[in-house]
Amino acid sequence: MRTRDENKVRIIREAALKMMVKEGLDGFSMHKLAKAANISPATIYIYFKDKEDLVAQISRDAATKMMDITFKNFDPSMSFSEGLRVQWVNRAKYCMKYPDQMHFLEQLRHSPYGEKLSEMMGETFKKIFGDFISNAIKKKELVKVPVEVYWSIAFAPLYNLVKFHMAGKSLGGRKFILSDKIMRETFELVLKALKP
Amino acid sequence: MNILIFKTNIRLKKDVGVVKSYLSADESIIQWNVDRDDTDKILRVVSTSNDPIEIIKTINEAGYHCEELPD
Repeated sequence: MRTRDENKVRIIREAALKMMVKEGLDGFSMHKLAKAANISPATIYIYFKDKEDLVAQISRDAATKMMDITFKNFDPSMSFSEGLRVQWVNRAKYCMKYPDQMHFLEQLRHSPYGEKLSEMMGETFKKIFGDFISNAIKKKELVKVPVEVYWSIAFAPLYNLVKFHMAGKSLGGRKFILSDKIMRETFELVLKALKP
Repeated sequence: MNILIFKTNIRLKKDVGVVKSYLSADESIIQWNVDRDDTDKILRVVSTSNDPIEIIKTINEAGYHCEELPD
């Protein structure tokens, strides 16, 4: 039995993820990956049966990491403002620390490779945040609006600030850094908007 | 358990079908698949045997090209 070289597996996974983000899932091939990572195709095939297997393994890892970070220190029974604050901190951290993985999961959502996984993640999110939201509405800490409206107000402002931050500039090329102060101010406005 | 990797010309689904009837006779093979999306039509074999020659012979008999890919 050939010994499994974890270092090689890691290199292959990292290179594959980068490549899929850059070229899209359709443009990605095991052959191109071998060339880009300077690893023989045979080595890649020792660890991964085919493209589907490779995509599946990377997806599982990316999804697990994303959910671990998103749900850290979070409990659906928290007060609405505290729970949402934890969510902001976690989501901002994830986007800034793992932008490639975030883009990869985004791509996956729109591809046949990701249907099952997205469904599974959707279920988990629905369960955890569904409880959080209904608790908050019951406790009169959150206004009752369609979930799309809730999400757009609760998270879109954060994601947009993160986008500015990662580009290093905002409107008209203005320099932008997402400071704690800006994040806090925006968060307070969001809370205000969502109060009943 | 050994994993053996080959470059082949097993292009179409029906080619995989042909190969299947030949490989299923080999009891040392635990699992196999052909990545038809790859330009090299990679045949990947998980086997208790570590002898690529046997598999190359079998695939040749089935009427296809087969060569082992080095690591």
